[in-house]
Amino acid sequence: MEIFAALGSVLSDPVLLGWVLLAAIVGMIVGAIPGLTASAAIAMLLPLTFYMEPLPALAFLYVIGKSGRYGGSIAAILFNTPGTAASAATQLDGYPLARQGKAGKAMKVATISSVIGDFTGEILLIVGVAWIATIALKLGPPELFAVYFAAFIVIGSVIGKSVTRGLASAALGVLVAMIGLDPISATERFTFNSFDLTNGISLVPLMIGIFVLGEVFTQIEERGKKTEMIPDSDDASRNRLTWAEYKTCLPHVIRSSFIGSFIGMLPGLGSAIAAFVAYGEGKRRAKNPDDWGKGALEGVAAPEAANNAVSGPSMAPLLTLGIPGSTIGAILIGVFLIHGIQIGPTLFLTSRDLVYALFACGLIGIVMYGLIGYYGAAFVGRFITRIPTRVLYPVIFLTSFVASYTSRGNLFDVYVMVAAGFMGWLMRKLDFNPAAFVISFVLAGGAEETFRQALLLSDNGVMIFITRPIALMFLLIGLAALIVRIRSLNRQARAVALEDA
Amino acid sequence: MSASSTPASWTVAVALILLGIGATFTSMTIALDQYGRWGARIFPLAGSLSLIALGLTELWNTKGKPTSSLSREHLPAIAALLLLSLAYVWVMAKFGYLISTGLAAPLALWIFGVRSKTGLAAAAVLCPAVYHMIFFKLLGVFPPLGRWFDLLDVLGGY
Repeated sequence: MEIFAALGSVLSDPVLLGWVLLAAIVGMIVGAIPGLTASAAIAMLLPLTFYMEPLPALAFLYVIGKSGRYGGSIAAILFNTPGTAASAATQLDGYPLARQGKAGKAMKVATISSVIGDFTGEILLIVGVAWIATIALKLGPPELFAVYFAAFIVIGSVIGKSVTRGLASAALGVLVAMIGLDPISATERFTFNSFDLTNGISLVPLMIGIFVLGEVFTQIEERGKKTEMIPDSDDASRNRLTWAEYKTCLPHVIRSSFIGSFIGMLPGLGSAIAAFVAYGEGKRRAKNPDDWGKGALEGVAAPEAANNAVSGPSMAPLLTLGIPGSTIGAILIGVFLIHGIQIGPTLFLTSRDLVYALFACGLIGIVMYGLIGYYGAAFVGRFITRIPTRVLYPVIFLTSFVASYTSRGNLFDVYVMVAAGFMGWLMRKLDFNPAAFVISFVLAGGAEETFRQALLLSDNGVMIFITRPIALMFLLIGLAALIVRIRSLNRQARAVALEDA
Repeated sequence: MSASSTPASWTVAVALILLGIGATFTSMTIALDQYGRWGARIFPLAGSLSLIALGLTELWNTKGKPTSSLSREHLPAIAALLLLSLAYVWVMAKFGYLISTGLAAPLALWIFGVRSKTGLAAAAVLCPAVYHMIFFKLLGVFPPLGRWFDLLDVLGGY
């Protein structure tokens, strides 16, 4: 019932609705620009929200994340360049459709499927999150540490091409988070007698560096490449979407929405994995599997629904356990902290109204980006082709400096941002995992705290993690995820070797 | 542990091991608490030893695999942007935000391929003015003032 009260409250606040609308537009544009992601936009705009009330600030960034995920499909279909990693799956059928002169139809299918997927995920979040929080309140430090441990392993090993480099990214994130004073004994760690380092590394400049400046470095390698839009067909009937056409997509959309929602709840997996799993599953169950990859509408609907369904449930571990399920979640932690809101299971006791109002803004944001996308995706596409990247990226470069300074009014943070930016570029170049690095940086503090609390509670040292069944279960989940991933990579390597032979 | 050869495997493995060894030594210098417990050392040590272990694994995986080297085509531009970034912050600390941004904006545009003299000149004036208005006037953030000289002193202050 709280959600209806929250919806009423949000709908009666025109200023808040204005922020949500702006976020829907900004997210869509940023998501559609090849190379830029919703994470980069959120990291860059984060300092602006310091000066806003908590709800508009959170709603603005949350809706940018949602519409940014959808915006990736515009680039995938209209430019044959996925705006986000997740929309690479949409590109498989979206681009062939565009080449057949059906870009408009493909965009409509992508929009409707994204909206259905996002709504499904959001409703599952609204229904389930308070229940998860109730369970989370009963978990003690050993269980919470085991959840953190599983999250580290899953985040480090599941994404990316290399397990060792993914896990190394997570380990580096933990080490960088250790810089500063120990929270319990106030002992200096990795400070090298520098006063600036005793305050630790701030999350905001680190994220701006990794996601924004790192992307600017990457885009230097793309200089001179022009984004070209595939011309739409003059024949309007080719781009009209009928109910009979969409009806065949609906089972795929419903299945993919649940796949996306489930994957979204698991920390670190994210939209790209959800989109490809849904695409694979859709093709396996399709009546026309041979058409997939050649311009099947279902091949656009399935990954788009899954990609967007991730958005809501990825907030569940963040809001209930303080564990960000995605890079966007990691950035939102910064907003909660800046506004003095403690995330975790107690959030539903202390800020219940705020949480439901945020969910309501999410639902309204979905409607807004759905309407804008359905009627204006082609316009957004044309607008993006007119943005000169050789001007856009220098502007983003300059903005990243002022944004990182703004977070604490400290030039040391700007140096941190530059170092993180270069590191972010290097990590992408060397197949490391910047997302695992940032999420581990965020998780490290909580993991250390719960680990040390658990040891204080224990009479048998680290045995407490094995003697408590829930803790043991999560430790085993983490190890199982690692083993499954290594086996799958080894299978792929063998398959490649056989092909080469 | 990877499906295909990852770039610069040997170099990355050695770098991870060296970083891990350095971090392990530094972790061992973290003071023990008043009861002589290792509490503050545990996580830094875990992270450092993990790096060594992962570096050794990476080194093991490179055996018999072809190594792919990184493309060096764009390295001069990357180095130029990194140098500009560091110089921008240094100049900001010494000469304030307006002068540093007035210098950095055209240089960044130039690195990205803008060659129009009018465009570069306009960026040198407009970028500091626009960012100053948005962040330091509208949002009320206190600007980074130059230690040696600041244009804001001449223009009538913040």
